[in-house]
Amino acid sequence: MQKLYHTALCVCIVLIATGCSDNESKLHQARLVAFGTLVDISTWGVDDDVAEQAVAAVESTFNKIDHTWHAWHPSDLTQIDTQLAKGEQVELDADKIAFFKKAMRLADASGELFNPAIGKLIALWGFNQDDRPQGPPPDPAAITSLLALHPSMDDLIITDTTLKSSNPAVRFDFGGYAKGYAIDQAMAVLRARGIDNAIINAGGDLRAIGVHGDRPWRIGIRHPRNPGIIASVETSGDESVFTSGTYERFFEYDGVTYHHIIDPRDGYPAKHTLSVTIIYDDAATADTAATALVVAGPELWQKTAAQMGITQVMLIDDQLTVYMTPAMAKRIHFEIDPPPKVIIGDVS
Amino acid sequence: MTRADFLVAMLALGMLPLLYNRYWEEPVEGEDAEIMAGDDKKLKVSLNTNRRLNIEGPLGTSVLEVQDSRIRFVSSPCRGKQCIHSGWLQNTGDFAACLPNHISVTVRGNNRHYDAINF
Amino acid sequence: MSSDARQITINPTREDYRIAWLTALAITIHIVESALPSPVPGIKPGLANVITIVVLLMYGWPTAAWVAMLRVVVGSLVIGTFLTPTFVLSFSGAVASITVLGIGSLLPGKGLGPIGYSLLAAMAHMATQFTVAYLLFIPHPGLFKLLPVLMTASVVFGIVSGLVVSAIMNRIR
Repeated sequence: MQKLYHTALCVCIVLIATGCSDNESKLHQARLVAFGTLVDISTWGVDDDVAEQAVAAVESTFNKIDHTWHAWHPSDLTQIDTQLAKGEQVELDADKIAFFKKAMRLADASGELFNPAIGKLIALWGFNQDDRPQGPPPDPAAITSLLALHPSMDDLIITDTTLKSSNPAVRFDFGGYAKGYAIDQAMAVLRARGIDNAIINAGGDLRAIGVHGDRPWRIGIRHPRNPGIIASVETSGDESVFTSGTYERFFEYDGVTYHHIIDPRDGYPAKHTLSVTIIYDDAATADTAATALVVAGPELWQKTAAQMGITQVMLIDDQLTVYMTPAMAKRIHFEIDPPPKVIIGDVS
Repeated sequence: MTRADFLVAMLALGMLPLLYNRYWEEPVEGEDAEIMAGDDKKLKVSLNTNRRLNIEGPLGTSVLEVQDSRIRFVSSPCRGKQCIHSGWLQNTGDFAACLPNHISVTVRGNNRHYDAINF
Repeated sequence: MSSDARQITINPTREDYRIAWLTALAITIHIVESALPSPVPGIKPGLANVITIVVLLMYGWPTAAWVAMLRVVVGSLVIGTFLTPTFVLSFSGAVASITVLGIGSLLPGKGLGPIGYSLLAAMAHMATQFTVAYLLFIPHPGLFKLLPVLMTASVVFGIVSGLVVSAIMNRIR
């Protein structure tokens, strides 16, 4: 009897001790600047010092990738641009080859709506700088002549160690891919440190693994026009949620707005779409898909998504009509009242 | 006080912090209110627009008022009027109910609700 | 109907008087308690449990169960809430309390004293009332925000009523 009471007493003390420990203290949140944007990293379930060291490792991963692949600051990429434009063949390490190969695959799958070889076109519009472009928009003739040169990832000749281009008009701008790639690498860093529950969020580019304690991670998706959230999603397992919005980078000139997602087919900012949200496992694919689908717009989004193997898409057009796949409709929870007009379209 | 009494008291006290941790979140000024009528009808109402709402229940109509980002029961066909006595609901998680008329109101959160925001 | 009608004479003992008196007291407390405000209408701290536990300690569990049931049913008839949601809550709270008290009375050795019984009864009472309110009347996640407060109140009431029971028992002995 004594023993029973003593054991029970110990159990009580343990219960009190665990009850008094703060559930939320298992959540660690950090913020850093990388890729020219704010990156939020949340981890759950690990001690603060483990989390802090992991965040530092992620920061250095991001910086390394940013320095390697930056489209306009002097980087390995700008060096490659110069050499390729001269017709030279460059030797690259395995990581860089893998980076290019994946980008080429995705560009192809997107029907070239994602075309990272149009760096010159992006520069024409002034989006190849840190500050907002002032305008005016480029001369139509300049756009036409650039398009005629047809820079594309198809112009690349790649082996396991070398890269060459058959088109001097090719210049790389991996916005819409590099961040996704970086987030994939960063998540691997977290996992390698034993962190199984985390979010890496670079603005509209996010990958989440695990859960927030006893509930899933909850992601809010910004309304493309108004302040506030239009919809939310709960992640499950390991997935990426990427939103590309035309409101992210733009300039106004003479009352007209020009945004940064250029349609490679006509050289002008993509029309009709305000934003696209994709859910997919790996971040690099989600990033390029989100970009490509903004260009695809309400007409082509289904076909393009199917080609890229994406099944969870939400596209919001400039009338604030929401286009979704059935799979996405199951996951999206609208946070506005009244809910928007929704058109369901399948991608099979 | 017997040994058993002491144990029960310890258990009771130990359980309380667990409950607070589980069910209490930081109060934040809410953005919209969720009204439930009966089991199935769920209404979401923005707290940004001042207005009055008539909600039907088995006993009749309960009237709710939204003003200055807050919401409250103004009138209700129940006897105790506890719902009205709950006063203004303002912060995330604030809650009032008219039990006899099967109507409940809770204030839902803003950004704190989300772990991350896709911009 | 039978020609051999037998008269049954009931001679109330002193014990019967006492139990009746205690039951009436419990009912009165129940009625008074119904006038108290509460964050969730219908959920009450269960002060009338004091009587139930005194009866338990003096006359055993079956009598206590009987008194508790009488209290809830008669009390609600008097107030006029019989078979209403309020009644359902009181009733389920009372059932839970007496069940827990019954289990508690089975403990070996010295077992539970007034405080232990009161605490257990109060917590069972509140937890059950909350569950019933949630399942039947307000299936709304927002209700859980009140749970920690309600349970704290039940723990406080449990200890207080336990002390009251102790005091009463000391006076009676």
